[in-house]
Amino acid sequence: MASPPPKSPEQTEKSKKYDRQLRLWGDHGQVLLENAKVCLINATTLGAEILKSLILPGIGAFTIVDGETVTEEDTGSNFFLDYDSVGMPRARVATQSLLELNADVHGDYIDETPEHILSHTQNFFNKFNIVIGTSLPEKVLIPLSKHLWEANVPLIVCRSIGFLGYIRLQVKEHTVIEAHPDNENPDLRLINPWPELKVHLEKTDISKLDNKERSHVPALTILYYFIKKFQEHNNGALPRSRSDKDEIRKMIQESAVCDENGVQILEDNFQEAIHLVNIGINPQIIPTQLKKILEDDCCTHLTQDSSPFWIMCAGLRELVQAEESLPVRGTLPDMASDSGSYIALQQIYQKKALSQSEFVYRRVCQIVTDLGIQQDIISEQEVKLFCKHCSELYVMRGSCIADEYEKNSPDLSVYLEDPDSLMFSYVVLRGLERFLGEYNVYPGHLDDQVEPDVLKLKIITGKLLSEWRCTQILRDERVHEVCRYGGAELHSVSAVLGGIAAHEAIKLLTHQYKPLNNTFIYDAITSSSATYTL
Amino acid sequence: MQLDRTPCVLGEEARSLVKEAKILVVGAGGIGCEVLKNLALSGFQDIEIIDLDTIDVSNLNRQFLFRKEHVGKPKAVVARETILGYNPDIKVKAYHDSITSQEYGVNFFKQFSLVLNALDNRAARNHVNRMCLAADIPLIESGTAGYSGQVELIKKGVTQCYECQPKPTQKTYPGCTIRNTPSEPVHCIVWAKHLFNQLFGEEDPDQDVSPDSEDPEAKTEDGHSMTDTGNVKRISTRQWAQEIDYNPTQLFNKFFFEDIEYLLKMENLWKSRKPPVPIKWEEATTDGEKTEVKDDDNIKNTDMKVWSINKCAQVFAKTVDVLKKELSGRNFLVWDKDDQPGMDFVTACANIRSHIFSIQMQSKFSTKSIAGSIIPAIATANAIVAGLVVLHAFRALQEQYERCSAVYLRRKSKFSKFVLAADNELQKANPVCYVCSPKPFVNVFVNTNTMTVKEFENEILKKQLNMIAPDVVLDGKFVVVISSEEGETQANDNKTLVEMSVVEGTVLKCDDFLQNYELQIAVNHYEAKEKDDPLFKVAVNPEDLKAKEDIKNGGANGKKEENHDEDSDDEPTIVENPPEDPQEGSSSKRRKLNPPEDSDDDLIVLDEIIE
Repeated sequence: MASPPPKSPEQTEKSKKYDRQLRLWGDHGQVLLENAKVCLINATTLGAEILKSLILPGIGAFTIVDGETVTEEDTGSNFFLDYDSVGMPRARVATQSLLELNADVHGDYIDETPEHILSHTQNFFNKFNIVIGTSLPEKVLIPLSKHLWEANVPLIVCRSIGFLGYIRLQVKEHTVIEAHPDNENPDLRLINPWPELKVHLEKTDISKLDNKERSHVPALTILYYFIKKFQEHNNGALPRSRSDKDEIRKMIQESAVCDENGVQILEDNFQEAIHLVNIGINPQIIPTQLKKILEDDCCTHLTQDSSPFWIMCAGLRELVQAEESLPVRGTLPDMASDSGSYIALQQIYQKKALSQSEFVYRRVCQIVTDLGIQQDIISEQEVKLFCKHCSELYVMRGSCIADEYEKNSPDLSVYLEDPDSLMFSYVVLRGLERFLGEYNVYPGHLDDQVEPDVLKLKIITGKLLSEWRCTQILRDERVHEVCRYGGAELHSVSAVLGGIAAHEAIKLLTHQYKPLNNTFIYDAITSSSATYTL
Repeated sequence: MQLDRTPCVLGEEARSLVKEAKILVVGAGGIGCEVLKNLALSGFQDIEIIDLDTIDVSNLNRQFLFRKEHVGKPKAVVARETILGYNPDIKVKAYHDSITSQEYGVNFFKQFSLVLNALDNRAARNHVNRMCLAADIPLIESGTAGYSGQVELIKKGVTQCYECQPKPTQKTYPGCTIRNTPSEPVHCIVWAKHLFNQLFGEEDPDQDVSPDSEDPEAKTEDGHSMTDTGNVKRISTRQWAQEIDYNPTQLFNKFFFEDIEYLLKMENLWKSRKPPVPIKWEEATTDGEKTEVKDDDNIKNTDMKVWSINKCAQVFAKTVDVLKKELSGRNFLVWDKDDQPGMDFVTACANIRSHIFSIQMQSKFSTKSIAGSIIPAIATANAIVAGLVVLHAFRALQEQYERCSAVYLRRKSKFSKFVLAADNELQKANPVCYVCSPKPFVNVFVNTNTMTVKEFENEILKKQLNMIAPDVVLDGKFVVVISSEEGETQANDNKTLVEMSVVEGTVLKCDDFLQNYELQIAVNHYEAKEKDDPLFKVAVNPEDLKAKEDIKNGGANGKKEENHDEDSDDEPTIVENPPEDPQEGSSSKRRKLNPPEDSDDDLIVLDEIIE
């Protein structure tokens, strides 16, 4: 991860153009995107739609690998191939028209089949940050998948046929620092505060404040005071259950004082304290999934090839061992208070967060030195970001597509119990791929061959199911339906899939948000979708 | 030679319907561009597109029919040209116009087989909803907000309409909160936008920025309000600013020192609040970096940094100067979040005011999110939703309405395996919907003693009930209260409702000719008591309002209890709405999700941008 380049103080043209997406993944996510090199294999309608949704938000560069020429059928559903280009190399035509979408993106093409490249330029695909393949026959998919698995380059395989869609992510290991959880609670540490915070919070005795002072105390201080009160009443026990929390709420409510007219009022900040009870008094624990990450082999056995993520994990691990808690996030929610008290409190949190991330950073520097790798591989800013989000760290370990096809017959029986399961579509699509391999044509592609193709495909899917030891059978109409498509892409289905696949690519490239794990099936007839881990 | 682009995958019937269909696309923004492309590649031959907007730089990251050289040009026109460049064989007609304008009446809508909404605001959505109900044309409604989105069919007599479920009202803030007692950054930002309009924009008396001495809270025990001396100047702010030639120091001292001093005199306001601290120009500009809240985050961009007071003051002076020059020779400026001086001005003013009221200051980036109600928008979500729209269109054309249940796009979360989820069945119409039921009826609660007929027309009929040109008569008396005919009832404008005999229990018959929409309104007299009470209310059933208030008063501070003890997340949850309609416009009236088995709650990412 490179640190973002310095920006001029005025808003740049670029940041204006990307304003709406920067609000999702930030400048640092954008930098990763702008440095990304993407390879698309086969500029089908789906392939072009995926690339479109990556070029618009501004990836660095793309390369299209495609050995086909443009057909009339292509121009009917692919926005980026016009009728005049029929007969020309598809890679070239698609590259040229896709480049028009964004002047900041570089693009080139190779007018060769992926088979050819795989057998002639062994490491061609290694230079990419991600490879996306559409309409790959099995005989290309298997070696490509093995090669990229070894090279540790993420691969997204997609297929759009008729009303069916399939997306499969192959990534050996993917690490996420910013998972953007749905709802994030503030990190307050009121149970078990560190010494400086404790001293600060205990300076205030809520019961001794006059009305004016009361209205200026931050909600945190109020809540801490009443937690202490609760403990006094309960032999030092910490509030845990819902009724404990209710009791604290009640105590705060009842602390309301009267104004000079004798009207009892509970000030805004006290209301806020009541509101914070639920989320503010949970004891800080280290999430199980984080414990697992910190005990992972990758974290405990670093090598020169370890990624910055794991080196930072190792640094974090040392902090957790030393302090038995996670770094404080260091940000506070807004609260009604005078700015002096608020800023004082905020500074205590910030200071703690800073000293903890400095600790981790020092450990990281030491580790990097010990490993004998480049010093500037991890910046202090990155460590700060890492510490701030440490409770949401996420590691995904995927599986190799070649293994799914060749070794581990997937255990589908459980899914196939449900006659409407989208797993049946997976079976059909696998059958289709094998059909393509055997006959080099889509089932039903020739109008007079539909019936014989149905028969052939039925035999293939039947074989597949028995190889997987599944007793269920595929309903005839599913096979008929696929043969009816004759390999045709429906533009709107490809548009939907293109958006979804591009989005997964963005997640992988920015290392933000959790990606799909690992197979996505879409049925446009019923508008339903499902995700399976295969 | 003409190529048949109608997909062979569609059945024979569908293919011929597609070829004959005439489609109206309302909006050529993020979803609109994608929808147009999808239509052109699905064999549709006859498309009309309408959009009022022109192209902005910030559209280019997703509205792919536009290029840099198109910035400033009408979206509908450029979209048409680009699509025809790709496929010159189809018919595309473009209107650079507002869909709510009088030319597009029921007969205009009746010529289409299908209407596809790709809008970004609720008012236009409501309007198209009514037009399609009146013309009995199926409508496909769609929207996205960040990663989320949805698509649904609206068909008279088959599904619910866009207005069947009451939507959370767009958030407005009581005038006194803005003018006297702000407590959140957003209050200061709204104030700063009002200040912009007072000084440079179109004047709007509702956007006064000076202290409000009529604040009910400011009243002393014996009921006197503070209408004494002070600096209540009889001339308008604009006039005064022009007289002093927009001298930044004088302006600064008026808004941030004198007005605040005046506020401090309303002692009642500061009994349970921290009083504001006025600040003078001299003080602000010598204050150095002392007050800077250092947000030491990971991002270098200056837009992410919170400015110091000194910097705010400097920016204030600089932008006042720039805006003054821009204003010369024009009647007024229009504030736009993407216009730098205006945005800088608002950021500076909002922050100075926040500082005065001890409210957390915000970076320009965050201020922009709040001020512009910016919903993040990305190409991917729009592509997905637009694809779903056209797939719905195929089914709707074949009148397979039962297969058009709503589809939702959601950000995947750890509790969910869904990316796309469809409702199990169509949402049925609300039998008492004040738009699509056979006899539309609604209760309004207004202060009949003080509200004028003009206010009633603007605030209730137009803004709340979304009528365009209403005619209103007293039921059974043939007294015309409001006429859509220019000038015909002008004499009534400044009369109060009482003076027009519109009182508690009165029933008004409203008719919007353009929308072909008749509504009976029962008038209820209502006076706002508490400071935070709305000035007026609208509801089909008064009980609904009560229920809403109970919720509001029940939970602490009116917010929903957050009981996320561990796994309770995987229940369908109603997602909070963004403050205004999303950029691409999620039709997010009802985000309750009913996926087949498990599900998750997926908050709109808005929370994350306003950190």
